[in-house]
Amino acid sequence: MAKETITRQEYRVVGKAVTRIDAAGKVTGKTVYADDMHLPRLLHAKLVMAPYAHARIKSIDSAKARRLPGVEAVVTAADLPPHRKNPSNRREVLLAEDEVLFYGQPVAAVLASDPHVAEEARDLVRVEYEELPPVVDPVAAMAEDSPLARSPVSEVDRTEEKGHIATGVEQREEQGKPSNIASEMSFKRGDLEEGFAGADAVVEGTWWSGMVHQSYIEPHVTIADYDATGELSIWTSTQAPFYIRDEVSEILEIPETKVRVTATEVGGGFGGKIFLYETLVAALAMVVRRPVKLTMSRKEDILAATPAPQAVVELKTGMKADGTLTALQARLIYDSGAFPGAPMLPGCLIIGGYYKCANLGIQGYEVLTNKVSVGALRAPGAHNATFAIESAVDMMARKLGLDPLEVRLKNAVEKGDPLPSGQPYPAIGLKECLQAISETAVWNERRDSRKHPNRPDGHPPARGVGLAVGGWLGGLQPASATVGLNGDGTINVIVGAADITGTNTSFAQIAAEELNVPMSMVNVTTGDTKTAPYAGMSAGSKTTFTVGRAVKLAADEARRQILEIAGHRLETAPDDLEMKDGVVRIKGSTDKTLTFGRIGHMSTGFAARYAPVVGTGTITARRQAPGFTVQIAEVEVDPDTGEVTLLRYAIAQDAGFAINPLSVEGQMQGGASQGLGIALSEEMVYDDKGRLLNPNFLDYRLPTTRDLPPIEAIIVEVPSEDGPYGARIVGEPSIVAGAAVIANAVADAAGVRVYDAPITPERVLRAMGKIKE
Amino acid sequence: MRPFEYFAPTSLQEAIDVLRQRGDGGRPLAGGTDLVVQMKEGVLRFPYPEYVVSLRRLPELKGMDFSEATGLRLGAGATFAEVAESPVVRERYPIIAEGASIVGSVQTMNMATVGGNLCNAAPSADIAPPLLACEATARIAGPSGQRTVPLDEFFVGPGETVLRPGELLVEVLVPPPPPRTGGAYRRHTPRKQMDIAVVGVAALVTLGPSTSSGQADGGAFQRVRLALGAVAPTPVRARNAEARLEGRPASDEAIAGAAAIAHDEAKPISDVRGSAAFRRHLVGVMTERLLKEAVARARR
Ligand SMILES: Cc1cc2nc3c(=O)[nH]c(=O)nc-3n(C[C@H](O)[C@H](O)[C@H](O)COP(=O)(O)OP(=O)(O)OC[C@H]3O[C@@H](n4cnc5c(N)ncnc54)[C@H](O)[C@@H]3O)c2cc1C
Repeated sequence: MAKETITRQEYRVVGKAVTRIDAAGKVTGKTVYADDMHLPRLLHAKLVMAPYAHARIKSIDSAKARRLPGVEAVVTAADLPPHRKNPSNRREVLLAEDEVLFYGQPVAAVLASDPHVAEEARDLVRVEYEELPPVVDPVAAMAEDSPLARSPVSEVDRTEEKGHIATGVEQREEQGKPSNIASEMSFKRGDLEEGFAGADAVVEGTWWSGMVHQSYIEPHVTIADYDATGELSIWTSTQAPFYIRDEVSEILEIPETKVRVTATEVGGGFGGKIFLYETLVAALAMVVRRPVKLTMSRKEDILAATPAPQAVVELKTGMKADGTLTALQARLIYDSGAFPGAPMLPGCLIIGGYYKCANLGIQGYEVLTNKVSVGALRAPGAHNATFAIESAVDMMARKLGLDPLEVRLKNAVEKGDPLPSGQPYPAIGLKECLQAISETAVWNERRDSRKHPNRPDGHPPARGVGLAVGGWLGGLQPASATVGLNGDGTINVIVGAADITGTNTSFAQIAAEELNVPMSMVNVTTGDTKTAPYAGMSAGSKTTFTVGRAVKLAADEARRQILEIAGHRLETAPDDLEMKDGVVRIKGSTDKTLTFGRIGHMSTGFAARYAPVVGTGTITARRQAPGFTVQIAEVEVDPDTGEVTLLRYAIAQDAGFAINPLSVEGQMQGGASQGLGIALSEEMVYDDKGRLLNPNFLDYRLPTTRDLPPIEAIIVEVPSEDGPYGARIVGEPSIVAGAAVIANAVADAAGVRVYDAPITPERVLRAMGKIKE
Repeated sequence: MRPFEYFAPTSLQEAIDVLRQRGDGGRPLAGGTDLVVQMKEGVLRFPYPEYVVSLRRLPELKGMDFSEATGLRLGAGATFAEVAESPVVRERYPIIAEGASIVGSVQTMNMATVGGNLCNAAPSADIAPPLLACEATARIAGPSGQRTVPLDEFFVGPGETVLRPGELLVEVLVPPPPPRTGGAYRRHTPRKQMDIAVVGVAALVTLGPSTSSGQADGGAFQRVRLALGAVAPTPVRARNAEARLEGRPASDEAIAGAAAIAHDEAKPISDVRGSAAFRRHLVGVMTERLLKEAVARARR
């Protein structure tokens, strides 16, 4: 770690823990979110949602709803303006037209000047359905004789997945005989048979992880306005303003130059705020020629947004007595819901992406069912695959009497090792994370953990410690930014990336660092799609990694321009100048100086001598900077009730270089908390008719503050080749490991293995054989 | 949420008059933590109210008091924060304090009332098992006067009580605890707060005088009251398990036997919060634990 400490000291602003620039607005409630916005003549939309998972719409009678005073329109698919309709792309099926494909699918929209009236009118719309057999279980759906969840899919849109992960491979869309399998793919390396033959321990199992929701605090909100000149404006809570612009433009056939998308402050996204009902709201605004707002209720949002898939992972692995992993055979089935787009491919890469293994065979399936279609959730698809491989590694270590941390260190991937796709890893820090965890108190005290005295109430709980690896490859997209000098000498940074994790704070740090000024002199703005320099979606953990580079280049360019003006003015070569705290001076001199304010004035005032200082930075990113995490838990298991109580938790994660360690720690703790929700309590439960039973935050259980212990965050820094100052992806990896960590800790404590996540008390008791029926 | 008329009477009589004059379609409102949520979510067990009568200003429903002779009076409008923080409840009726102190979060407890919890009549209502175990009675007032109903007869089904249209729950009366009495309430929830009982168990025991035969732990079960939440259409007493214990020495074996009976006696359903088998299992485990805890408290 000594190397990093030295690097650190060279920097003034980056690498220092700073409070987020948006913090005060958020904690004082002053931040304006989309739902806080109002426009003249605004109409509120409420969606009529299908009460069946699979049905044919026979008729829609909206007469009664229309008669309710205050109702302006009831819009069905037939009333929408002409638009591109690819039935395989959920974003182009604005309202169900003929066939309903999931419970909660929007069938009609009611528009009224008062949201409560819209809601009342919604309940007056009568829709007649003919029920069709629902396909609910993805494994059963793969059978040859299964009924079809929907008509076959074609031209699948995988943009959302690609925003999160660059894979360099394409999956094969299923052709030929109609089936519920939307796509499949496979990776092969070496010889599996040989691999298993050479193993001293073989472990086989089927892991299931449930469907989970991103559970952002702010449900989806979108406002759209289509004006008399044909300009479309959209204000929406999104991570992906440019992507929405491009898609809406294509679907509604409006040139991109006439579409303005403003990403309002995002009240939580986690991959779930990429693109949902923006096109629908825009189309509604076009129908009524008035601004339209759609604010989803919590229930509507859980029913009909884009949650994360359930997956079934069959895994067989083999290991030699010395701990060498010899074979890995996996079959991953991701339930995509009613439209394709499940993150099966990332799951296939991840399951074989943590360890060196000479022989592997990985097969992935993306299966259609009659459920809401899934989207991205922080490292989409990775936690499902990790639950399996990280449980299996523990089981093999246990079988062979090996130390689970040593076994991981022995096999962990390093720079140059291939992913299942063959693509080699760039610089990564998995081993360094394992080492960091080996130094934690939780790990070193693990043997004492089991010897603790009984609780005062006399029940005999069991304690144990478990750990697991998690990782994510990250997305790639070009980016740009501008850095300008204002007349008063302050600095404006403009980017096109939505700030969902504190990235604008990091950009301020980067610009301040490059211009050697305090952060207080820098302001960062996320522009809209008409004014901002282009940036990819804030997804795939790539925002600091890509846009940060653009900001750095732009700041360097601004610096060059400032020095050029100062050099001209002070009659010196720019190379002989230095700048600090907004003052440029000849190196070593104290009298020959020029302030940024002066330079700003000289480049913006009337008849100014110099052109304005505006630095532009543009980059394209072609190589990823994958992020790894290792997490460890100490748990207590009540053998009679099955309750699992978290006592201690630690996470080590490679950030490459933590531009703002406070934000990095926050991302690590936040992601770990979400991972623990997935591990212990979060699950969207559907009945056999495809109806969601828990569309609320009572029965969809996020962990509360009292369910989680303090999470110790250890930042590891193995610099990436490409990120600014060596920074790499940070946001996503932390969510990945939770379920495996808990399963391994429960196995250590109670001696039973739970294969289903969330690991609820009931599932623990069943694993213990205490409930049989 | 749809529009409704709102009344805020300042006396019990006025509230009853409003309900009588306006007739069907009205709904009393206490803390609103059930009612408002149900109205917003459209998950009412009754038609959407045309009007709502706030009970927050009725002095008759407020607060609580205690006397050694008559016991505890809990106003229907007492909030769980008040109940949980009351020194006399905590000291004399820890079983009730335990029920009150786990309702939702601090915010919920500041709004939610005892009366609302009972009148909403969820099988999982957390104050119900403790009050059933304490053999509380409900005082009800309505257009045709007042009546008193043992709490045991108050619940009719999920969301249904003996309250007739226009009637209000005024207060709950809890007899004073005899000497050598101990009680405890716990529930199982997946989360540590902000949750609803998957199973709730309240145990209240009164022990007889220690025997002279030198049994250090001494005493037999004189009276045992066991009440279960979330395992039947209403909160219920586990009478077979109670009967099994009364008159027997307060031993671990006797308790284990009663727990097994309670396990068999419960009639849980399977739902999104847990399967019937899981709930039944928990009834056994928790009954045993709660009885032991109640005995330990009775001996203190
Ligand atoms: C976040 C949250 C967490 C919760 N956690 C718990 C929990 O842990 N445990 C639990 O048991 N409950 C819980 N609840 C449910 C609820 O808070 C309780 O049931 C609460 O006691 C209801 O009381 P209230 O005063 O808010 O009732 P209200 O919502 O005002 O009324 C409930 C019902 O009772 C009727 N009513 C109220 N008072 C009277 C009266 N005096 N006479 C006649 N009818 C009356 C109303 O008409 C209505 O039908 C929770 C609710 C929320 C929102």
